[in-house]
Amino acid sequence: MKGRWRRYLTGYALIAPALLAAGLFLYVPIALSGFWSLTDYSGLGSPEWVGLANYVELFGDDLFVKALRNTFVFVLLGMGIGPVLGFLSALLLNSTVRFRGFFRAAYFIPVMTSLIVVATIWKILLQDDGLVNQVLGLFGLPGHAWLSDPSTALPAVVVTSIWQGFGFETVVFLAALQGIPRELYDAAKVDGASYWQQVRHITLPAMRPTIMFVYIIGIIGSFQVYDQIFVMTGGGPINSTRTLVFDLIDRFQALNLGEASAVAYVLLAILAILSYVQIFVFERER
Amino acid sequence: MKHLVRWFVVIASLALVATSCTGDDGGDGGGATSPGASPEPVTITVVDYYGEATPLSEDVIAAFEAEYPWITVKYEAGDWDSMREKFTVRVTSGDSPDVATMDMTWIPTFASKGIFADLTELSGGQLNDAPITDQYSEGAVEAMTFEDHYVTMMFDFDAYALYYRADQFDAKGIDVPTNWDELSAAAEQLAEDTDGDGENDKYMFEVYGNDCFHWCQFLFQAGGTILTDDNTAAAFDSEAGLSAMEYYRSFLDNGSGVYWGEAEGEPIRGIKDERIGMFLDGPYYMGLLKDGAPDQSGKWKVAPAPYSVEPGSYLGGTGLSIPVNAPHPEEAWLFVQYMLRPEQQLGVFTLAGAAPATEAALASPELTQPDEYFGGQAPFPIFADTMAIATHFPYVEQWDPIDTAIGTMVESVMLGESAPQEALTDGAAKVNEELAG
Amino acid sequence: MAAIGSPRIRRTVLYIALIGTSLLMIGPFYWALSTSFKPSADVFASPPKWIPDPWTLENYRDVFTLLPFPRYFLNSVIVTGSIVGLNILFDTAAAYSFAKLRFPGRDVLFFLLLITLMVPFQVNLIPLYRIMVRLHDISPLLGVGTYSAMILPGMIQVFGIFLMRQFMRSIPDEILESARVDGASELKILWKVVMPLAAPGIATLAIFTFLGAWNDFLWPLLVTNSDETRTLPVGLALLARKNTVNWGQTMAGTAFLAGPMILVFLILQRRFIEGLTAGSLKG
Repeated sequence: MKGRWRRYLTGYALIAPALLAAGLFLYVPIALSGFWSLTDYSGLGSPEWVGLANYVELFGDDLFVKALRNTFVFVLLGMGIGPVLGFLSALLLNSTVRFRGFFRAAYFIPVMTSLIVVATIWKILLQDDGLVNQVLGLFGLPGHAWLSDPSTALPAVVVTSIWQGFGFETVVFLAALQGIPRELYDAAKVDGASYWQQVRHITLPAMRPTIMFVYIIGIIGSFQVYDQIFVMTGGGPINSTRTLVFDLIDRFQALNLGEASAVAYVLLAILAILSYVQIFVFERER
Repeated sequence: MKHLVRWFVVIASLALVATSCTGDDGGDGGGATSPGASPEPVTITVVDYYGEATPLSEDVIAAFEAEYPWITVKYEAGDWDSMREKFTVRVTSGDSPDVATMDMTWIPTFASKGIFADLTELSGGQLNDAPITDQYSEGAVEAMTFEDHYVTMMFDFDAYALYYRADQFDAKGIDVPTNWDELSAAAEQLAEDTDGDGENDKYMFEVYGNDCFHWCQFLFQAGGTILTDDNTAAAFDSEAGLSAMEYYRSFLDNGSGVYWGEAEGEPIRGIKDERIGMFLDGPYYMGLLKDGAPDQSGKWKVAPAPYSVEPGSYLGGTGLSIPVNAPHPEEAWLFVQYMLRPEQQLGVFTLAGAAPATEAALASPELTQPDEYFGGQAPFPIFADTMAIATHFPYVEQWDPIDTAIGTMVESVMLGESAPQEALTDGAAKVNEELAG
Repeated sequence: MAAIGSPRIRRTVLYIALIGTSLLMIGPFYWALSTSFKPSADVFASPPKWIPDPWTLENYRDVFTLLPFPRYFLNSVIVTGSIVGLNILFDTAAAYSFAKLRFPGRDVLFFLLLITLMVPFQVNLIPLYRIMVRLHDISPLLGVGTYSAMILPGMIQVFGIFLMRQFMRSIPDEILESARVDGASELKILWKVVMPLAAPGIATLAIFTFLGAWNDFLWPLLVTNSDETRTLPVGLALLARKNTVNWGQTMAGTAFLAGPMILVFLILQRRFIEGLTAGSLKG
């Protein structure tokens, strides 16, 4: 009995620093902004209770609705393409390849670089007389003012983000691929399964947890997209790249802490629901 | 593991701190000491976004400290891009600086949220022992005033005039335009198609993407205003608004203008490679031209912006403000006054290449000297004259969303996404919605 | 794999794909690096100049004379180093407890931690800043304007705990049990048995933490007010002035920022990959 309590105590003691730090630096701020989201508050003076008025205001505001829509488009495009590319390049690297370390490092270097730097580089590359258009010109293709056109600005930001992130997905997938026992494939080959059949029936099921991990982390990160937008487009042209966090910061800079906090809570709600659904579906299928 | 124990102690004490600092408005008072009575040592914090060429230089600050030996200045450099966010966080967290450089376009929101100290009270209407109204132009005084009190003191000003390639004007026999029709004609004559693909690619008139400044200038020139006089409704969905929109768009329609957005990068690039031959911008651009296109020395000149009904420009620039919860407002005001003396005001021009705001500085001979870069012209008086007729943006609490709405509206017309009248109607509806909410 | 064609063609296609994509990944960096050696007139030269000609060290010299970059570098090393160290300590301890020890409320507490991953950092800005202002009032050595303002909020990472917990779960219980039977305390087990076994996981954690802390911009920008504590990304931002950016200088600064990052990865690469492979991501 005494031993068990000692065990419990050790358990609590080991998580105590983490919980205290989280309490102070995460929960207090989160609770506070939750409260603010229900008030009219400029940051000076005291908050004035308004109930759900900020949320009602947001959903009646074109800019917020547009930001919500753009964010979903960004996540769908980014998460639809990025991990698939990462998976395919991991498959490539997993076959017997020389210089695997080199290729892996090459893919991973953008991951190591800050988003601000990556976005700055791509902004220059995508300029009207930048490298991208110059390379297109070499193939006789017409250039385009990617970041000035409301229909291509968001896709351009998506491409930049995929470029930055897909090395991470490649490396994580590759690590998981190498953890799958060889024997499984050998048995399948004996049965005459084709390469893609093997991928479908052995690789994908074995990698389910990894895929899940990549998507949860990726979706949480994508919904919070800001740095790229800030550097590359400033939310334009015609608000076509305005996203939720951009909208949040805009309201915050206008000293509208109530609405800014409400935006954050909408974001939090979306992410909580999505993560719950993902985990639920995943657990059930398993 | 001893470390671990020590950390537990630290963290536990942090948790205690946290509980004591939620909710309240953070103004920790710090009571101002009256400078005349008790010269107790005081440190004031000054934040500045000017960058390396700041007129708030080390020498100037040292001279200030020598004159007021009980005051120490803690100078903090920032960059313009992040200044606003950082300032917002500090002021709302009870960590206000004492003096801050403020972009005049931020003033409407900040002032209406009550973030600035009342400078009328602090100054008694006197700046360096003379009435404030005597030291600034009427437009500037109005721009510094919110609800009958001063919220900032203008340090540099921004108002737009026409920059043009004088060498090309001469070569093509173009006269300097004074009204819209002449400007259109000049633009068409100036633009060139050098690669023969049927589209102009050189010496074009620059049409900016998303900003309120340039279109509003045309709006004012057509006799329009942004909001009604009492600031309760949009007034730009008018005949003046429509003619401004159609006129601005016409440069793109007839190919004499070039659209400049994010994909085009910074305008200075278009100036260097000669795609841009004419543009409207403020005095600070003189410095940028000299830095960015030194090879074009002697080729540029400046003229008053051509207009349709009456001359007009937006009025902006930088103000020196004191936050309402600044720890040492009295000493801060001493610093502001010091920076607005003619010597320091001149530094705005000599160090930063921008335009000082006080009348005394504007009248000083240095500013009217012929400038080699502008072919021996003295461009400064042109900007100073423009300042006199320029209008600041309306001081309403909702200015930021209104600014966004107008910028978006102009951008959608310039990008051909909507027709001028349709965009104006939509834009006015959005602005009215903001003002009503 | 036979379906794709003869082995030789297959290999050729494979290598073309791999080399093509790596060029796509490295190209922009090469371009950025070469830009840092170009005089400003050549940055947008058309056709692009792949090799700077003429080349110059001017941008690096300017960057170093304009701003105290060695100081920024030192600050970045101190802040990032402390954060990585604290995370290795605390994240691992918490992860071990969550993965291998049993106590009431364990899973609930873990879930409560996980939720915070979904909160955008911007939400916390003002409350967190207020905490730092208060800390500074208590002691001038703490809070806004000191290293602690950057280090303390980063001392644990929920993502790090999550990652390490996944990793710990792959360590067989029998090893721990036999240590317990030998009379070792939990702390000793953690220190002597688990930590060494978790080395690859710790490398992974270290890289992720390093990555986040080294590149962090917004928070360090807010809580630093002088060159004494400014980190590299914050210093780099000071290079950009309103309406004018010198790309050559920016890229020189960038090389300075990204270089150490890439070096750390290349050194830790093998361990890092091991950490990922050895089960950290298995459900």
